[in-house]
Amino acid sequence: MANIEAGGPPRLEARDVRFTVRGRHIVDGVSLSLGAGEVVTIEGASGSGKTTFLRILATQVEPDAGTILLDGTDARAITPSVFRTRVAYVLQESPMFDGTVADNVATGPRLRGKTMSAGAIAAALDRVGLAGLSGRIARELSGGERQRVALARALANEPDVLLLDEPTSALDPSSAQRVLAVVRALADSGLAVVLVTHVAEHALSLGGRHLVFEEGRIVGTADQRPETT
Amino acid sequence: MSYVEVSLPRLAIALLFIAIACGVSWRLRLGLGSALVVGAIRAAVQLIAIGYFLVFLFAHERAWLVLTVLIAMLLVAALTSARRLEHGPGLRVLLPYALAAVGGGAAIALLPLFTLIVVPHPWFEARYLVPLSGMMMSSAMNVVAQVFERVFAMARSERAVIEQLLALGASSVQATQSHTRAAVRAALIPTINGLVTVGLVALPGMMTGQILSGTAPGQAVRYQVVIMYQLVAVAAVSGALATRFARRMLFTPREQLRRDPELR
Repeated sequence: MANIEAGGPPRLEARDVRFTVRGRHIVDGVSLSLGAGEVVTIEGASGSGKTTFLRILATQVEPDAGTILLDGTDARAITPSVFRTRVAYVLQESPMFDGTVADNVATGPRLRGKTMSAGAIAAALDRVGLAGLSGRIARELSGGERQRVALARALANEPDVLLLDEPTSALDPSSAQRVLAVVRALADSGLAVVLVTHVAEHALSLGGRHLVFEEGRIVGTADQRPETT
Repeated sequence: MSYVEVSLPRLAIALLFIAIACGVSWRLRLGLGSALVVGAIRAAVQLIAIGYFLVFLFAHERAWLVLTVLIAMLLVAALTSARRLEHGPGLRVLLPYALAAVGGGAAIALLPLFTLIVVPHPWFEARYLVPLSGMMMSSAMNVVAQVFERVFAMARSERAVIEQLLALGASSVQATQSHTRAAVRAALIPTINGLVTVGLVALPGMMTGQILSGTAPGQAVRYQVVIMYQLVAVAAVSGALATRFARRMLFTPREQLRRDPELR
């Protein structure tokens, strides 16, 4: 599959990435390049390799072959923690950590020895539509709220790229729409986004570039939203 | 130095204790009769064998022979600590790390002991080296087994949390810190409890043995204090080494949490 260039230089790029488990090609030669503000949605059945590909983009899994580049630099030449603060990855049903919503949101900066001000935490929560929730116990929130806390937590690192694994899979339709609206707004603010889902309509509603995964390959692609500014 | 000898006929009387336990088992239908008999026979055979072996060892005290015995003990301790892990890597991966963790913990306690506190003459005098090393190795063995079990089980149950922390920029140390700390603490606490309660309830086995064989209680107590302090160092060092090694097995050099099959 040929690279599809987006507007502007690629921030995150995968070149002919392959991942094999016991002779089975989970990811079979996938290339992708992603520019600032661009949304790429990846749709596929479970077992199609889409999550593994996302994990490779996030450097959580080392590919057997191929390269991941961030702003043109090979990911292997970048300190993992530095790469991961710039390329945020939110797991499917991302677990909440102990403590309050504010504790959760401030996790990334805290790991680097930085304290996030209450104002910054409030701003991050406001960005995902959860203003005023910072004092709540994170694990007691609803599924949709937790998903948005996970987004705010990832955004606290001020990443350039956001990788989302099935952010809407466990949510009711209205919560899912709210999460998708947040993702859309983040992309409009300049973040590059890759979103993996098995729900075609969620992928299509986001617009941007749409890829279909099957047996570890991109088998279909479409530009869904020419009106993206 | 005199003590009451236990003759073989008198030793046989001790079988009565096993019979009592068997009687209780039969009466309460515990179904432990055969286990008790097998256990009693094994204990007797193993201890008698080691008794003869010690007699042989003391009679042929050579540096290489004593060192071989110590290495064999270390090997058995490491094997035991690396076996029967429900989660985590296979024995082949685990054994070298288990050897290093048990050996490291024991060495930290034993080298100062034999060079500064209880200095045997000659340096390989088996009467000191074998039992004291055995105590430290078996303590290290238990700590290492416990830490490995806890850390690998945690890596499985907390996989999503660890990966999300890594994704937020955590190092493998940061991503597992709360759990590895808990594992080392749990391994240390029984030893610390031992320090607090020793002498109040039971006298430690070694001290009891020394007193029975005629050592002045004052000296037996000093030995025991040294042993107890050593055990704390053994638990701390073995525990810390085991968590560090477990982390090395769990994560790639690029701070990626390995999948279960990759561990094996």
